Amino acid sequence: MSEKAAKIETGFSGRQPGLWAAAFALAMCAIAFAEYRGLLGGWRSLPFVAAATLFLFPLTRAANNRQAAAGALSPATQQYNRRMLIWSISYVLCLGIAMTVRNYLDPQGALLWGIAILPSLPMVFFVWTLARYVVEEEDEYLRYRQTSAALIGLALVLLAGTLWGFLETFGVAPHVPAWWVVPVWAIGLGLGQMIMASAERRADRT
Amino acid sequence: MKNRLKVLRAERDWSQQDLAERLEVSRQSVNAIETGKYDPSLPLAFRIADLFDMRIEEIFLRD
Repeated sequence: MSEKAAKIETGFSGRQPGLWAAAFALAMCAIAFAEYRGLLGGWRSLPFVAAATLFLFPLTRAANNRQAAAGALSPATQQYNRRMLIWSISYVLCLGIAMTVRNYLDPQGALLWGIAILPSLPMVFFVWTLARYVVEEEDEYLRYRQTSAALIGLALVLLAGTLWGFLETFGVAPHVPAWWVVPVWAIGLGLGQMIMASAERRADRT
Repeated sequence: MKNRLKVLRAERDWSQQDLAERLEVSRQSVNAIETGKYDPSLPLAFRIADLFDMRIEEIFLRD
């Protein structure tokens, strides 16, 4: 696998995916807070959500650069990162459309069902992206690494979901919508990758 | 499982990147195998053995 072909951008922002992920998360939290305070909502939120989504482009580029610098950027990884970017933008877009239609058109019947299902549709692409990565990745260690991180994400979803479900059942915790499984899984995936990277650094030192 | 990959690579004055390109794997894979963090599959172990013109058991050793 030739890593020389991969364009590696130097500099702080070019290799700090965490920086761009934090910027995206902060922007989304700020929008949610503004909506909560009644400063934004519906159509007014959309330009801000679209602007925050732009952070996903440098985030993907920085992730590619970081992986290239670590000697872990395979063609399959690049393809996976590109597909995840497409999925993220589609998800935000579908969610924005669904919430706007619900807030302004007061949909009923089939239209209500349609907009309720709309944000879930990009998840088909998301699951397909995960499956394609496992098939397309020719580097067995990178495949093992990514699969392990995904399993850590799954473990977190199962543990958090079961725990919260019983807390809800016994009336000691408020209801949490089931769509939270994806953000929780993504946090677990990130944690898994940090655990794997930490184990690699430990092995390097010994 | 222990292995002599780092020594064999050093004898040939190859960097991890050099070895990775010869094996058509990522540099991180070479690093993970060298440090014993990851045991390669049998096909990759054969590729490594072929590259060094040695038998697998001369490169990979039982703990």
